[in-house]
Amino acid sequence: MDTFPATLLALAVTTPILVGLILLAGRDLPRGFASGFAFGGFALPAVLAPWLLVLWSDPATAPQQFQSVGFWGFGFALNGLGAPLLAMTSLVGFAAGVKALDQEVEGRNTYLGLILFMLGGTLGVFGTNHLVGFYFFHEFALIPTFVLTLFWGGEGRRPAAMQMAIYLTAGAMASLAGILIAVDAAGVEYGAATFENVALGLQNAKHLPAAVGALVLFGLGTLASLFPFHSWAAPGYSAAPTPVSMLHAGALKKFGLYGIILLGLSSLDITGGALGSWFLWFAVANVLLVGLICLAQRDLKQLLSWSSVAHMGPVFLGIWVCGVTGQADGLDAAAFLMVAHGLSCAALFLLANAVRARAGTYRLDELGGLAARTPVLAAFFVAATMASVGLPGFGNFWGEVGVFLALRAQPLWLQAVVASTVVISAVYALRAVAATFFGPASEALEKRWAVAPFGDLGWAERAAAGVLLGASLTIGFVPSLVTRSVNPVAAGVTTYSQHNAKAPAKAAQPAQR
Amino acid sequence: MPADLTSLVHWILFLPLGAAAFSALFLRRAGGFAAWFSTAAAFAVAGLSLYVLAQGADVRWHVELAKFGGVSLGFGYLLDANARLMLFVVSFVAAWIHLFSVGYMQEDAARGRFFAGLSVFMFSILGIVVADNLLMTFVYWELVGFSSYMLIAHYFDKDFAAAASKKAFITNRVGDLGFILGIAMCLSLYGTLDFAALKDHAAAAKTIPVTVGALLMCGFLGKSAQFPLHVWLTDAMAGPTPVSALIHAATMVAAGVYFMARVSFLLAPEVLQFIAISGAGMAALAGLCALAQTDIKKSLAYSTLAHLGIMGCALGLGHPELALLHMAMHAFFKATLFLGAGSVIHGCHHEQDMLRMGGLLKKMPLTAATFVAATFSNCAVPFLAGWYSKDAIIEAAWHGGHVAIFAFLSLAALATCLYSGRMLRLVFLGEANSEEAAHAHESPWTMTLPLVVLGLVYSVAGGFLASTLLPAGSLQPVKPALDAIAFHLAAPSTIVGLLSLVVGFLGALKFYGSVRGADALQAVSPRTYHLLEHRWMDGLYRWYVDAVQRRVAELVAFLDLLLINGVAGRWVGGGVPAVLGYLTGRSFHRGQARAYALWIVVGSLFLAWFLIAR
Repeated sequence: MDTFPATLLALAVTTPILVGLILLAGRDLPRGFASGFAFGGFALPAVLAPWLLVLWSDPATAPQQFQSVGFWGFGFALNGLGAPLLAMTSLVGFAAGVKALDQEVEGRNTYLGLILFMLGGTLGVFGTNHLVGFYFFHEFALIPTFVLTLFWGGEGRRPAAMQMAIYLTAGAMASLAGILIAVDAAGVEYGAATFENVALGLQNAKHLPAAVGALVLFGLGTLASLFPFHSWAAPGYSAAPTPVSMLHAGALKKFGLYGIILLGLSSLDITGGALGSWFLWFAVANVLLVGLICLAQRDLKQLLSWSSVAHMGPVFLGIWVCGVTGQADGLDAAAFLMVAHGLSCAALFLLANAVRARAGTYRLDELGGLAARTPVLAAFFVAATMASVGLPGFGNFWGEVGVFLALRAQPLWLQAVVASTVVISAVYALRAVAATFFGPASEALEKRWAVAPFGDLGWAERAAAGVLLGASLTIGFVPSLVTRSVNPVAAGVTTYSQHNAKAPAKAAQPAQR
Repeated sequence: MPADLTSLVHWILFLPLGAAAFSALFLRRAGGFAAWFSTAAAFAVAGLSLYVLAQGADVRWHVELAKFGGVSLGFGYLLDANARLMLFVVSFVAAWIHLFSVGYMQEDAARGRFFAGLSVFMFSILGIVVADNLLMTFVYWELVGFSSYMLIAHYFDKDFAAAASKKAFITNRVGDLGFILGIAMCLSLYGTLDFAALKDHAAAAKTIPVTVGALLMCGFLGKSAQFPLHVWLTDAMAGPTPVSALIHAATMVAAGVYFMARVSFLLAPEVLQFIAISGAGMAALAGLCALAQTDIKKSLAYSTLAHLGIMGCALGLGHPELALLHMAMHAFFKATLFLGAGSVIHGCHHEQDMLRMGGLLKKMPLTAATFVAATFSNCAVPFLAGWYSKDAIIEAAWHGGHVAIFAFLSLAALATCLYSGRMLRLVFLGEANSEEAAHAHESPWTMTLPLVVLGLVYSVAGGFLASTLLPAGSLQPVKPALDAIAFHLAAPSTIVGLLSLVVGFLGALKFYGSVRGADALQAVSPRTYHLLEHRWMDGLYRWYVDAVQRRVAELVAFLDLLLINGVAGRWVGGGVPAVLGYLTGRSFHRGQARAYALWIVVGSLFLAWFLIAR
């Protein structure tokens, strides 16, 4: 590979940041100019990143090693796990951008600039394999998230933003401590502290105490809304403005998982011993307890926020089972689910906002019968819901089923509890669809319609949702687009994880790779 | 030759999907065109399937979609004799039901959505038929559930349709939960999900674990609406009548039977025994319950439940070929009965209550003639389609010495004749019991032609056609089974059947003629009627949802808020820093979010600088 793709990568990451800087500096830039400029900042990565994924998933062009290019002392580099996440983030960012451009807000240029920062930071996390770069971009994406939620959020934004800031800062501190100790123990210079070098370095180092793994797992787990560090998540996603909810629940939380996989799983034995048991129980709680909490929700956006927490359960379990069995299939499936969930979750937040814009509420008991007035919105919403409950054809199916299959050698009760998500998620998701769209029109809706008749889904919203659902369908029909890119990294991480575990896993079957 | 057939199977499978995508994207407002477009695709698929059946060659084809670690996710076809028969039955019945729908849905504003849904269903069900591995079967299985959901919810502005669609999807998912666990167990035990490879493994293994079959069976219980997951099927009649005919009578619910026959080598004897007994019980009970329904479609839905029980019973008795034969015959006559009901409903201006019908024989002669023919087939009058399969199954129970099962099935045969006689009496004989029935009219040709083809040709002559005109196909795999149980006209089953026919059918005609505008059984014995009408399992599930699930969910949500968010998060997590902050002075804590944000930025930049410069 020449340096051409690396330049593309650097362009994809830096464009939104530079455009964001200009918009922040030029608060008084004319509206049309700012809009066009911002659109470019959202659109360019959405072209470049999927292209990179296509290159990475083709054996003829995929890099054999992590590619990187020097930039301010840390490298932009794209590995096979980052490639699909980068592509997903770019599409979620594009959809969020289209939505943001469609909104009327105060301080529009600052708003757009901060969202571009979020996007650029998130792309940066997946576009580096360097721990310093990882941490830097992770903070870079989170800070605008707090600010956006605080100033542009909806109901209850102040307590939600503060709670989110406290949780995520605490989580960041914990994970930073873990990262520093791990890098130090691996004996690598910070300039060379890539995920791979740390994993290699730790192979020859003295085994680290489990507390280090705990710092990384729970620190980054907070970001990925691992039970019981999830309390910030649902209020945080709910209170945020829609483009921020889309990016945050869709893309940002995945970099917690990205770090857990590339540092925690590969180097810090997070699935072994007592820590592994805690990890398992917390992940099961994500599926079961948070699933039950979803059933108790009465507000559409709250429900989506909570379900986004619940859907992380199978991802965590995929990561866990990979460490336990020493086989890569769980990790492949978890990565697939991370990508697919980002797309479906962002689509649902977008469409739920479209519901609110028309019906004036998120409350399920005041909604009802919207499908007769807005058939296109209903069709999109049903499709996004089906994607999120793992209907085949959409990407989420492969991820969920892959995790279930990866758990095949575990006790039947554990498999049953995890797979119960297919029933629980169907119950709350279809209940929400029926309450929002089906049945006769609610009284509140009739009144609103009489005062101000509303139209069906607009072209901007159609385009944004269409991109997300189209991408989910694409990886649903052509799963190799993701798996070919992820497979080598998952295999590598699995090998490192076995080297760095205290007691190598008793593999249920001989590894078939 | 095989390569040719593979490309034909591509066409058979993907033509409906293409039609669905095209209709959904471009024909939403052009309902009339969408209807004919979908119908043309369905007839093309039926033609291709007939050709494949006549060719009689097996097809094996497989590609790898992706890999998760060492697990290969494959897509492929396994077309054997059973699959060819099923392919033909499904696509042939479906094509005529498409044509029927053109007339039936003429006034419907959302025809584009309806026909797109039918086409998605076609793709999914044909996928189940041709799939060569468990995972792809599960994929199509879920898609069938989805298309069923969308079509039941066709009249989504009605509360009952919204509730029924949700119930169908969720009940099926409960079954699918077991199904996916069974798939995981197969992969764990045998390292493959491929049907052919699994069959080899099963043949090599001395015993098959009961759990494997029991878990796979869960999928069948959901999709084929078997006890205790049968509750969704009667509610599913909320969908348009052609949907009830195609999906909830002829094909989708039979997919469970087909799947069980496909993996019969994975079913341990205990599992088979359970299926046989529960199927026989279901057949008898559902047949009797059909007597306590006044809605013509719901009464037919119970009849479907009963026949699915009979098919399950055949599976359990170790005769998957007979189960498939009955599935095929049932598809023809039950589709005719449902389409006939649709024609009656259409003719009576959307009246579905049988007590408000009556005297339609003269007003709708073609509909009546086909309905009567299909009813006779349903009641297993000798030499009609239903007789070949249903009485053969009863005979198999007798031949195998399963007395209890034979008794249940005989009761089911009697119940069939009773509800069939009642239906004919209430709908077609006597005088009109309402304005709607008095002004009933015969349906247009698009609706009566499918009735004639499916009803007269196949319900009546189905057995003859299958055994003579298509030598390469249908009946051949069943011959050994029929010979083994020595099935013939003077067999015990036929004698029981003929007795039921005389007693049940004639008795029902007389009994239900005795009261006008009301149900005779309800008039004579309200308690018995209530016992059969009441939906006991629904009550149990409703209690579970309201009293258990909802309360547990609310309790967990409350405890999460109180303990994790409140005590742990705010008091401990917030209290300690608060005390520290108080002790270190208040100079930084001015309550300004901008200042906090600034400090976070400064801090992270400092940290980044420190790390890089070190």
